[in-house]
Amino acid sequence: MYNKTIAISLFFLCSSTLLLAQSKFTVSGTVKQQSSGESLIGVNVVVAEKPTLGVTTNEYGFFSISLPKGHYTFRFSYVGYRQELVPVNLDKDVRLNLNMNDESKLQEVVVKARKENDNLTTATMGTEVLNIKDAAKLPVVFGEKDLVKTIQLMPGVKSNGEGSNGFSVRGGATDQNLILLDEAPVYNASHLLGIFSTFNSDAIKDATIIKGNNPAQFGGRLSSVLDVKMKEGNNKDYHVSGGLGLISSRLTIEGPVQKDKSSFIISGRRTYADLFAKISPDFKDIQLYFYDLNVKANLAVNDRNKLYFSGYFGKDVLGVSKTFGSKWGNATGTLRWNSVLSSKLFSNTSFIYSNYDFNVSFKSDNSETNFNSNIKDLNLKQDFTLYANARNTMRFGFNVIHHTIAPTTAGGTDIITGKKSRKGLENALYLSNSYKASDKFVIDYGLRFSFYHLLDADTAKTYANLEPRLSMNYRLSNTASIKMGYARNTQNLHLMSNSTGGSPTDQWIGNSRIIQPEVADQVSLGFSKNLKNNAYELSTEVYYKTMQHQIDYKDGVDLNTVADVEKVLLFGKGRAYGLEILLKKKKGLLTGWIGYTLSKTERKIDGINDNSWYNAKQDRTHDLSVVGIYTLSPRWTVSGTFIYTTGNAVTFPTGKYVLNDMVIYQYGSRNADRMPATHRLDISFTYERTKHSSWSFGLYNVYGRRNPYSITFKENKDNPKKIDAVQTSLFQWIPSVTYNFNF
Amino acid sequence: MKNIITAILITLALSGCEKVLDLKYKDNKSSLIIEGNITNESGPYFVKLSRSVKLTSTGDYPAVDGALVIISDDAGNTDTLMAKGNGIYQTNTINGIENRTYTLVVRVDNEVYTAHSTMPAFVPFDSIKVETIKVVGDTQYNLIPVYTDPVYKGNNYRFVLTVNDKLINQHFVQQDDVRNGVVNTSRLEINDDDLELKKGDTISMEMQCVDDSVALYYKTLALIGDSGPGGGTTPNNPRNNISNGALGLFSAHTSVYKGVKILF
Repeated sequence: MYNKTIAISLFFLCSSTLLLAQSKFTVSGTVKQQSSGESLIGVNVVVAEKPTLGVTTNEYGFFSISLPKGHYTFRFSYVGYRQELVPVNLDKDVRLNLNMNDESKLQEVVVKARKENDNLTTATMGTEVLNIKDAAKLPVVFGEKDLVKTIQLMPGVKSNGEGSNGFSVRGGATDQNLILLDEAPVYNASHLLGIFSTFNSDAIKDATIIKGNNPAQFGGRLSSVLDVKMKEGNNKDYHVSGGLGLISSRLTIEGPVQKDKSSFIISGRRTYADLFAKISPDFKDIQLYFYDLNVKANLAVNDRNKLYFSGYFGKDVLGVSKTFGSKWGNATGTLRWNSVLSSKLFSNTSFIYSNYDFNVSFKSDNSETNFNSNIKDLNLKQDFTLYANARNTMRFGFNVIHHTIAPTTAGGTDIITGKKSRKGLENALYLSNSYKASDKFVIDYGLRFSFYHLLDADTAKTYANLEPRLSMNYRLSNTASIKMGYARNTQNLHLMSNSTGGSPTDQWIGNSRIIQPEVADQVSLGFSKNLKNNAYELSTEVYYKTMQHQIDYKDGVDLNTVADVEKVLLFGKGRAYGLEILLKKKKGLLTGWIGYTLSKTERKIDGINDNSWYNAKQDRTHDLSVVGIYTLSPRWTVSGTFIYTTGNAVTFPTGKYVLNDMVIYQYGSRNADRMPATHRLDISFTYERTKHSSWSFGLYNVYGRRNPYSITFKENKDNPKKIDAVQTSLFQWIPSVTYNFNF
Repeated sequence: MKNIITAILITLALSGCEKVLDLKYKDNKSSLIIEGNITNESGPYFVKLSRSVKLTSTGDYPAVDGALVIISDDAGNTDTLMAKGNGIYQTNTINGIENRTYTLVVRVDNEVYTAHSTMPAFVPFDSIKVETIKVVGDTQYNLIPVYTDPVYKGNNYRFVLTVNDKLINQHFVQQDDVRNGVVNTSRLEINDDDLELKKGDTISMEMQCVDDSVALYYKTLALIGDSGPGGGTTPNNPRNNISNGALGLFSAHTSVYKGVKILF
């Protein structure tokens, strides 16, 4: 392993000799939106005289580019914004801050690359960026716009099922997605058992999903990174916006702290279905609501230093009178310090706190039982971006996370469980470089070294992994490119869940002496082609992924009460492969996309299915989504989504027998059967009444398809010798109305 | 818990609904089913041999005759069972005694199947407590078997529920891994999709003290039945205590019955 390390380090050293080239001057600065002062991420900054030289702004809107002395014109471009040309006389280092104006007429674009042909010029693979403004017009259940639901319409990303916010990326499990809210990991990203995500769309700026080909600064989960960024708040004026829906309302306040320099935003949301339900005496005992609060503020210390604080707090409450009660929620806090150390070196330091806990209690006349579980993180991240020269941008840094993980413990009147919490330290060092070899060839390469310490004296141990990352883009012509990528990811935290749908009571545990880090290796190949002057964009990717140290459970295990979870685990491996096709229409009155995935994902676990390969439950052969947004008039917009997916792989009984006068089902191979396919059409109309208010009307499941939620097998009431397969469906025709305002 | 969650989800969805599907099933391998019971009550005891059938079959379960069936215990007793026809085999001499381990050997079609089961010590069954709760305007009944778990660990209890003389096809197991040595206050986790108790119902319950492998078998069945969010497990044939691939179960257990009527 060490030889490999040395070889890779040498590779880095060779490329960094490029840094030692002749003396140059640097242009650096921050790009912001004119009207709100929000920083703009991914703005393309190109030297007009040498169009092959250019950079993009980072997560804080910062850019830096070094050039020999001379006169240059910098072209700033960003989809939806007016292009800016800025002349610069470069005879010393220059600071260049810019505000860009958005062009509202381009805003019907739904999912947009950051510049028109971004898909052709960057090496990034398997990545989609979603802007919340654009997701707002898509129909969703109960009219609550939802970023995670929109992400699930992308190829390679599959919903776990109706009424579930969990998703599977390229054959991975739900817990293999790293969900970050302003860098803080969110351990349970769903409200109300998965009907809503924890992300209040009013407080969100954008979200990026990376399907396995993570840059080296990301790590810790096998399948994907969902990187969600909160808005910073308007630093020019105070604004109030919100929405009134059938089951929930939202309110957001934002404004400047120091005008043009710093700002704050506070956004809250609460459902009130339970308040209506209480009107009916039958439902008065039911508690059923969630709320969340997002807070963010930033403070410009000086021209080179900026502090950000972001916080999230959310809670779900679900209970029935005094007999059953449950509460669960996440709290996260991030304190960040952005610093421009030199015109070429940008630093970001973050202190992050994240907490998830749940509490379920059952009460009866003379007994009480509680289940609790908790995971708490303290996290320090240091990230540097070095704009070495116009061809090389390097990133390096480290991350230390201290986990305190309390597994599900039962308590109550007469219960004794001796489980104690475990501590772990998850560390990573990383280094990566994005190298523009020529105007046709871009290569991003990096290495992440991750190591996990078990901190408890009785189990002390360290697991170390090297994770190489590579992606390349070769431009075939002005409208086409091919891409190749390889990445290794590891995962040190594991979600214990043997429920079919995912539940708030699922518990996280860390590595142990028995549980080893999960490891995935993914190779992908892609081809992109833009058609009709970038109006259409076609991307296809194929991937093959192998996974090691995957976890399953022995028979008859109840994970909530079992004394020692590690004793009931089974281990094995997985593989996943597939083809993803995405065709976007980005211009015109009608915009949208068609996404299709053909895929296979399998597991091979010791002790299951005679140790042979079987379909993972999230294996779905076909997955199609069609999304369209049509501007009917300046005020009316209609949008629709259609989805079709093969049913999950499940195990149906094949036979039956009688034991002690009870009918018992006999099963064949694991997951050899399929749930019926799910398909559905949703539509939504948006009416912009004035500049400050709009109505949206939605209908979920237009043709009332009864999609399968679960299938159970029962003896027929009239003929007990006949077995019926009974399907339960959840949502059939859900209308919604939402009123949105902003002042 | 699953039932409450599902009920709330469906209430929320307003239009949640059920329908019967016509599914295509994979081929079934017809397997030998062995059912054997030894109890602390006096004999004779019976072993029943049959075969599994396709899920879609509505006919009878084929009986397996012509087998050699022997039960022995760890006190040196051996009993060759008498074939009664229709797949039923009856013991002659062997007795069910607490703390003894019994071995069942079945020889049929040149294959030999073996099973072991240990009869745990008897634990008295005091009564059935009926608990009333009001949920969403409905009155629901919880059944709590009252017994005092011995101080030593590793006790497993299986309950067989009969309501108005109808055997309920649900599986209930209680164990003492988190509540040891106390009077039981846990209710049976009845799946109320299939069984709604009401005022006037006559309840009869058998409490069996069973060994670990029998408890695991029924616990697995109970989890398979509890599908949907918040519960359930990928279904499979529960691990049993019989060798050579036969399905079914051989159980040496104590047995005691109690009854109660739901009065209000």
